[in-house]
Amino acid sequence: MIEFIILLAVGYFVGSVLEKKHYKDIKKRERKTIHVPIISFGAKQAIPEANEAALFAGSVVVSADYFKMFASSLRNLVGGNVVVYESILDRGRREAILRMKEQAIAWGATQVVNVRLETASIGNQASGGKGLFAVEVIAYGTGIR
Amino acid sequence: MVYKPKEIPEDVNVTPIHPLVNFANLLGTVVVFSAMVYLGLGVVATQLVTRISPEMEMKIGKQLLSSVKTTSTESQSEKLQYLENLLTSLQAPDFNTAIPLTIHIQKSEIANAAIIPGGHILVTTALLEEAESENELAFVLAHELGHHVARDPLKGFGRSLVFLTVASALGMGTGNADIVTLTGSLTNLHYSRQQESAADVYALEAIVRLYGHGDSSLDFFERIKTKDKRSKLSSYFSTHPLTQERVIYLRQVATEKGWQMRGEVTDLPDRVFD
Repeated sequence: MIEFIILLAVGYFVGSVLEKKHYKDIKKRERKTIHVPIISFGAKQAIPEANEAALFAGSVVVSADYFKMFASSLRNLVGGNVVVYESILDRGRREAILRMKEQAIAWGATQVVNVRLETASIGNQASGGKGLFAVEVIAYGTGIR
Repeated sequence: MVYKPKEIPEDVNVTPIHPLVNFANLLGTVVVFSAMVYLGLGVVATQLVTRISPEMEMKIGKQLLSSVKTTSTESQSEKLQYLENLLTSLQAPDFNTAIPLTIHIQKSEIANAAIIPGGHILVTTALLEEAESENELAFVLAHELGHHVARDPLKGFGRSLVFLTVASALGMGTGNADIVTLTGSLTNLHYSRQQESAADVYALEAIVRLYGHGDSSLDFFERIKTKDKRSKLSSYFSTHPLTQERVIYLRQVATEKGWQMRGEVTDLPDRVFD
């Protein structure tokens, strides 16, 4: 029981410090890269006139901490919005987009079109959902210049 | 169309609720609900076990016993015989013998005694070593007998089954509440305070009926107070807590009912206990 409470406390405190740090970093980089638009169209529409185009992909894996896992297992009993996992996915999406965008900007892109997001859960679902819970978010799009 | 960068909206996809508040809500809901289920099912289990037939109980007991290690060496057959005689003499005249009682000696460094469904009483070797008089040993046996008469082992069994189910639903338990994990905690089945004190009163009554007095029978309790905390005896009381309160309560009951608490103490037979 004590072991469990320690795990929970470590999960909560370390987890929230890391999360705050990550969000701070994300927000800073988002402001820095805001001048380049990212657009979701381009698959069935004509993409804007450009000289060159290249594919850029950014992927990230974010893991839940012990606290989040336990809170979600409680949530699992009663159902409803899994609030604790929302921030993980939010961080994942924004980080993946940033990684893609930063590469595109380094290449000299003026726009990134046809941006898509995909997620995959990385974890041991076979053993009853125990062990690792992590989500991979990949963002990819066509950079044009 | 000219692109104009806009201010990035914050936390659209994250519910603005503090994780601890959210957690407290969840935990509260789950705890309250599980407590209700636990109590409810405990009541149901208690109701059900009183309807379990002796045959069924014996079947359960047999299954449980197979996972408990007991010793039955030559040197212990005398002890067993002695304990069984003692147990028989402790039974009230109107004792229901539908379920035969059996004693098993368990080799252990921990002084403890327990009863499992089916009338199987487990006594550890350390308890027999620690015993200084027949009276105190008889009290321990009679205490377990009291649990048996009240069908507490089955009730406790029902509750722990419920508890394991709840724990595994929460993902904290072993996952599968099979019979082996159940028996892992068999010897420390927890009874409620009322069950314990009812068994205590039953035991003291049986002791007074047998010896005519209750002297020395509470020696296990008395000794624990003066003994080193790490002694073998203390472990018995870790599963049978609140020693001091129990002694006080028992003495109170004895005074009320006019039971003698002084008398001649019966020694343990030398040929059995060397």
